[in-house]
Amino acid sequence: MQNGSNNPYDYYKKTAVFWSDMITMMSSKPTALSAVGPLRNLSTNMKKITAEITEANKEIVEFNNFLIEYYKQLSQTWTDAQNEVTAKTSQLPKDEEGTEAYKRVWIDNFENYFTGLFDSKKFSENYNKLISKELDLMKRWNVVMDVMLKSANMPTKQEIDEIYKELHSLKQKISKLESSTKKSDKNDAE
Amino acid sequence: MTQNRFDPKIIGEFLNFGRNITEAPMKISIPHEVRIGSTEFDVVYKEDKMRLLHFKPLTAKQVKTPLLIVYAIINRYHIFDIDPKKSWVKNLLEQGFDLYMIDWGTPTSLDKFLGFDDYVNRYLDNCVEFICNESDVKKISMQGYCTGGTLATVYSALHPEKIKNLVVTAPVIDGWKDTTVVSNLTKSFDVDKFVDTIGNMPPEFMYYCFSILKPFEQGVEKYLKFMNNINNEKFIESFLKIEKWLDETPPIPGQLFKEWIKGIYQDNLLIQNKMFVGNRQVSLEKLDMPIFTQVAVGDHLVSPECSMPLHYAVSSTDKTLQLYPTGHVGMIASSFSQKKVLPELGQWLKERS
Repeated sequence: MQNGSNNPYDYYKKTAVFWSDMITMMSSKPTALSAVGPLRNLSTNMKKITAEITEANKEIVEFNNFLIEYYKQLSQTWTDAQNEVTAKTSQLPKDEEGTEAYKRVWIDNFENYFTGLFDSKKFSENYNKLISKELDLMKRWNVVMDVMLKSANMPTKQEIDEIYKELHSLKQKISKLESSTKKSDKNDAE
Repeated sequence: MTQNRFDPKIIGEFLNFGRNITEAPMKISIPHEVRIGSTEFDVVYKEDKMRLLHFKPLTAKQVKTPLLIVYAIINRYHIFDIDPKKSWVKNLLEQGFDLYMIDWGTPTSLDKFLGFDDYVNRYLDNCVEFICNESDVKKISMQGYCTGGTLATVYSALHPEKIKNLVVTAPVIDGWKDTTVVSNLTKSFDVDKFVDTIGNMPPEFMYYCFSILKPFEQGVEKYLKFMNNINNEKFIESFLKIEKWLDETPPIPGQLFKEWIKGIYQDNLLIQNKMFVGNRQVSLEKLDMPIFTQVAVGDHLVSPECSMPLHYAVSSTDKTLQLYPTGHVGMIASSFSQKKVLPELGQWLKERS
């Protein structure tokens, strides 16, 4: 490797970008003949899509780490709750009343342990990091979709958002106008 | 050698449970086909997805001041009329109230920029104007439930001249004092990133939040009880109605959700009189009308500590704080609410209407 990096992620990233660049350069000459054709779009878009997918790999790894921690917290809490249930119910008789008592102890214990976990700072922090990574991946997906929509001459997410924002602003203006008209009509009538 | 002998009753119970699982589809209605809401109403005003419902009177003589119920932004309004015997709406109509209720509808991506300003100064204000014109009054009574209680509080602080009486039922007011799991999750939540990426708050995310509130009572025990009671018609009917209601959570508009999480839970602006809605400061001291705050002691969605500070923050001299030994939903849709909460509310409102 040119930069001497031993990081497999860097190697993978550089290889992907290198080949997508090469393919873009090689294919752009013949496809330039039809400057607005689908093949030219495809070749230029491929680079953007490859870059997003490559970057997403790093986030997938981080997402998995938070997901593992999430399940670790859940399984640890489950084990702790079950141990306490076992300790509390070892002397219960194996009749109908004993079964009912076991059910009650099980539900109460698990409820307490898990509510304690969900109320804790460590759960909240890890959970929010997990969501944050999921959103990063979602953002990458949105970029890929935007590239594809653009190549199909469709409005992108950003463009649709701009329309929604404009509509919202227009609705607010109309509502204010209607309200001031009503007020002046009322004043005139009085 | 000791023998592990089980009580035959346990084996019988186990077999019954298995039989109930097999027979349930034959005996019970399909959950999504269950009808909820029984009291008749007219849709008298519509704006975007929002609808104003006017319930048909059940008494000849009516209380003069109309009452508008501001429903929450989570789930649908049906919980107020889920069952004729536990219907909040029917009870108030029988007490002679001229009753309106807001249904916020189901927002789509088109509505992602709707915020507090739209909900309070546009939708809510237009509904109040409509009711005042219809009823030929200058002021109305307003009741807000849960997050609807917060909206009603903000509205009343910004438009006190239009509110005769304010009733807030389990309102979300002081986010820092909220001790629920929901509050814990919002502390380090990157709401800007969430809304910018996803848009509206999807229902699935809310189902997750609900599922961790009481995971074993609500996620396990409830369904065991359901399977053990498939022959109890009344129990099953009530169970399915509540389940259907829980399953119909609409998305929350992204902008509103963002303002909500930041303004109420993270920065706690409302109780500190630092919140701005439509460029106007929301001061709780402007609340000088009669105020009735209803709080459920066993509320696991909005803790009592989160609702009660409103009572002490307002300037009103005619204010009542009432604590009830029930839960968030129990306060509005239960036999207890019919016997205790609603008669007290009706009496309080009639004395001031």
